Amino acid sequence: MKARLIVNGREVSVDADDDTPLLWVLRDELRLTGTKYGCGAGICGACTVLQGGAAVRSCQIPLSDAAGKRFTTIEGLKNHPCQRAWLAQDVAQCGYCQSGMIMEACALLAKTPSPTDADVDAAMRDHVCRCGTYARIRAAIQSAAQLRSAK
Amino acid sequence: MRTRREFLGIALLGGPALALAFRAGGADAGEKTPFRPNAWIRIDPDDIVTLTVGKSEMGQGVRTALAVILADELEADWRNVRVVQAEPSAQFPNLGTGGSYSVRGSFRALRRAGATGREMLVAAAAAAWGVDRAACRAEEGTVIHEGKRFTYGELTAAAAKLPVPADPPLKRDFKLVGKSMKRIDGPDIVTGQARYGLDVKVPGMRYATIVRPPALGGSIKSFEAVDGVDVVRVSAGVAIVADRTWAALKARDRLKVEFDAGPHAGFSSAVYEQLLADAAKDPGYLLRQDGTTTTPARTLEATYHYPFYAHATVEPMNCTADVRADRAELWVPTQAPNAVQKEVARLLGLSPERITVHVTLLGGGFGRRLGWDYALEAAEISKAVKAPVQLLWTRSDDMKHGYFQAASRHEMSGGFDADGKLVAWTHKKIASLHNARGTPTQAELDDPNYYRDSASWGVYDIPYTIPNIETRYVRVPTHVPLGPWRAVFSPSSTFARECFLDELAHAAGADPLEYRLKLLQAPDVLAIDDLKIERPRLRAVLELLRTKSNWGKPLPSGHGRGVACNVYDGVTHVAYAAEVSVVKGQVHVDKVVGVIDCGLIVNPLGVVAQAESGIVWGLSSALKDAITFRDGGVEQSTYLDFDVLRIDETPKIEIHLVPSHGDEPYGIGEPTVPPIVPAVANAIFAATGKRVRRLPIRDL
Repeated sequence: MKARLIVNGREVSVDADDDTPLLWVLRDELRLTGTKYGCGAGICGACTVLQGGAAVRSCQIPLSDAAGKRFTTIEGLKNHPCQRAWLAQDVAQCGYCQSGMIMEACALLAKTPSPTDADVDAAMRDHVCRCGTYARIRAAIQSAAQLRSAK
Repeated sequence: MRTRREFLGIALLGGPALALAFRAGGADAGEKTPFRPNAWIRIDPDDIVTLTVGKSEMGQGVRTALAVILADELEADWRNVRVVQAEPSAQFPNLGTGGSYSVRGSFRALRRAGATGREMLVAAAAAAWGVDRAACRAEEGTVIHEGKRFTYGELTAAAAKLPVPADPPLKRDFKLVGKSMKRIDGPDIVTGQARYGLDVKVPGMRYATIVRPPALGGSIKSFEAVDGVDVVRVSAGVAIVADRTWAALKARDRLKVEFDAGPHAGFSSAVYEQLLADAAKDPGYLLRQDGTTTTPARTLEATYHYPFYAHATVEPMNCTADVRADRAELWVPTQAPNAVQKEVARLLGLSPERITVHVTLLGGGFGRRLGWDYALEAAEISKAVKAPVQLLWTRSDDMKHGYFQAASRHEMSGGFDADGKLVAWTHKKIASLHNARGTPTQAELDDPNYYRDSASWGVYDIPYTIPNIETRYVRVPTHVPLGPWRAVFSPSSTFARECFLDELAHAAGADPLEYRLKLLQAPDVLAIDDLKIERPRLRAVLELLRTKSNWGKPLPSGHGRGVACNVYDGVTHVAYAAEVSVVKGQVHVDKVVGVIDCGLIVNPLGVVAQAESGIVWGLSSALKDAITFRDGGVEQSTYLDFDVLRIDETPKIEIHLVPSHGDEPYGIGEPTVPPIVPAVANAIFAATGKRVRRLPIRDL
């Protein structure tokens, strides 16, 4: 199908099978490879992007549902407090899961500007990091919350 | 990224850049072979310092650590330092990343290279000013003399014409080494610009996936074509090649294929456990015997069980290959680029120099990417369809068809004399050798010494002083593909050893931490083969842990504290105290305090990150899932049934580093893993009185 969607503030048109998951639309059609494949089943969180302001698993959204909607990927963040906090806390190790982590954190802070550690754990528990960066992710989200409120 | 060709060209020209080749670690170090460089530094007229080095970045922070060492000795401006990935070639013949050896093996060479560059730049500046070089000093990318200053970039052309000093002096005080430095790849990662294997795009590229027989050792009986995609038989199964990833993945479900389950169709975890149990009666190979046999007044025995595990890197195995008639080019997230080059050359019947291997960032390695299986598969498919191909292993492929951490059985016994003194220790490990990346020769198999370094880390090198020690290894042949996993042979052995020592401490009525200290008294040095374990260092680590963990401070009911320690590779000393709470049989690890002596500390921030990482890795293996077999195949297929630790299960982690001493840094990526599982198991005993002798921990 031919579809239009808005990615990182720009309207793009793609021509792909209507059941193509948004993940592969982003990666193969739009060459936005910052969004990662980890499991293809909505379990690991590596493919997380924002739809509007909400975190969604791009591997679970077929193009037919994505059409006409607005998405933000890691490439669409510009000096976001989460990115700055991630660098300040030196969170990443291999980095592969971090795009999904950061997008989820953006959605959390948009909804809950001052999250407790329990809020953070609840929001991030469906994300897998095999390098074990979890402790620093907690710290980075708290620090991003402060950066946001200081703005 | 600059290509190798450009880089060598400039190096051969000499100026205007100053380029130096050197060897950083690797198997050739110290050998009397012709000088074969495997790392380069180049300082360009624009002040940029480029380190080209063949170490794969998989999260361990190696690119940062190596750059810090070089920049410090070179007196470079850290902001101008770049790291470029080396690719295998005649110039880079011995690349590879594993064994927690990158920093340890490169430290001296990087310092020597940095010092050489610095001295040449200082000499060039002194000559330009017509002053004595002793009156000039290097500082943050410049050479200074009485208020006058050249940047390094202004000096490279002149410096490149100078002779290379034979023995440049090393700096006495570090500026960057020992300071917490953030990772050099951080900005790329948080902006989505970091390029992993799956992010490679090559013009005309197609996408491939392989349908594999579910039973290990099975084969394809027959298959039918699928509309819209290419379907080809390959060694591993049936490859589906399409113009888009999704088309390839979708065609998997439509593929009509019949499998032959092969010779191991009846294999299961229970079958393997029985093999281990039967083999336990075999005396096996003697690894170490101290003392003569003694007849203790009282003996304690226990058997420990360790399961199979997958690596489950979040980036699954993948490789992009472009095979032509007379050459091939591969883009591959690998820890072993030379092995990839060699094995792909062998597969294609080409000479290795016809195979170009580009190493991407690795979305996790943990030893899995020391294998080259997925690179061979991509090359085979590309050759068959005559196009560049990106092979994607699905998550399920990755769980079911990787190679695994070996399962093992450990038979332990300890003997006390009439006074209650521990006088005897036996540890027999029953397991299977690595087989996924080649198998040992018959001569190796027949050599009892082979089983120490190739199977029994953590068994034969038990650091405790016990008059009679007997350790053995029993080999069980298997078809299950096995290979290195983070900390390789140590996690299973250390689990059994440190838990059983806890049992002995309890039997002796002693505090487990004090008991360890008591068993780490004289002699101060334990030497086995090339290993030299310094007991005072391990004592110091445990003593600091006693203080930092509030050891002995009472905890509420249902809570417990456990300790375990290990010396990895004879050099990195790690001890953990874990605090757990057990509620209705559910274990929660509340806090882990760690103390580490890894020699000279290059990047404290990186060392602590690796400790956090090793702890989470170990906790996954203790508390979450293992790999099991049924009907000849792996039962697990994703992070639901092979779950790993999540953020809400992550304890508070507090790491203390023993201040740098000595002049050599030791490894850190793997050593942080082995002691965490026994520390948790021992804490569970403290909380509940129940011993954990089988992983993962279930049914308390």
